[in-house]
Amino acid sequence: MKGIVEYMRKEEWSPYAAGILLGFVVIFSLLLTGNLPGSSAAFENLAATVGRHVAAPNNIYFVPQEVRGTTIQPIYPAGFTWQVILLIGVFFGAMGSALAAGKFIGWRRSVPDVDRQWRAIFGPERWKRWVIAFIGGVVLEFAAGIAGGCTSGLAISGGVQLAPAAFIFVAGMFISGIPTAYLIYRRRF
Amino acid sequence: MSLTEIVITFLLGFGFGWALDKAGLTKYHKIVNVFRFTDLAVLKFMLSAMVTGMIGIYGLKWLGLVQLTPATPTYIVGNFIGGLIFGVGMAGAGF
Repeated sequence: MKGIVEYMRKEEWSPYAAGILLGFVVIFSLLLTGNLPGSSAAFENLAATVGRHVAAPNNIYFVPQEVRGTTIQPIYPAGFTWQVILLIGVFFGAMGSALAAGKFIGWRRSVPDVDRQWRAIFGPERWKRWVIAFIGGVVLEFAAGIAGGCTSGLAISGGVQLAPAAFIFVAGMFISGIPTAYLIYRRRF
Repeated sequence: MSLTEIVITFLLGFGFGWALDKAGLTKYHKIVNVFRFTDLAVLKFMLSAMVTGMIGIYGLKWLGLVQLTPATPTYIVGNFIGGLIFGVGMAGAGF
């Protein structure tokens, strides 16, 4: 028992062990809820909720199926969906893991030794991290919309069902990710 | 959605986030370094999750306990171009 607690408080597990835990999450997700986990759809659902109320109340891509009473499945149904609740769980799960390991940073301004690699390339300014993370996030979500999912919803949840789309997506991800990382880093770090 | 479903979904998400953080994938350098081949934690994590998931899901399907969900349709151009743009965002943002 003490061993288990200690293991939970470790800062990092072997990626294989963490991957097996995620594998069990995927299995129990299908067994208990009939859905497979994904994260990009939650942002789409939330964005569609805003879009529907602000700009396009009758847009067929935003209005939930049961409201419209037709059989066309909207691409990004508005609403507080299964995926959104899952995403809230992801947030608290990662936070719980960080708290248990005692590495939770929160809003503290300067954090030595965290993101050492980032600082070596982009400098110590916090705002740069926020701006680049935001732009990257927009690019990610846009791409997930085109591809039909992200690393979790398409690559892992699709991959476990042997969907060809998952493997095409991962190939594309590496083909562009490798040169992007090379352009940022060259021979530095 | 019933309360039980909400609680189960939240707990599944909690496990998901916990696994991501314990694999170190909440850190910028772990994500970027997989594209530089200096730290393959992302691949180790993803592939072990997929292998575990595949064995479990096809085992349960064989036992008749679950049905596969409709997976993302194969649309080569969309999946591939989406993947290409995704890679740029992932290597840039480190998420």
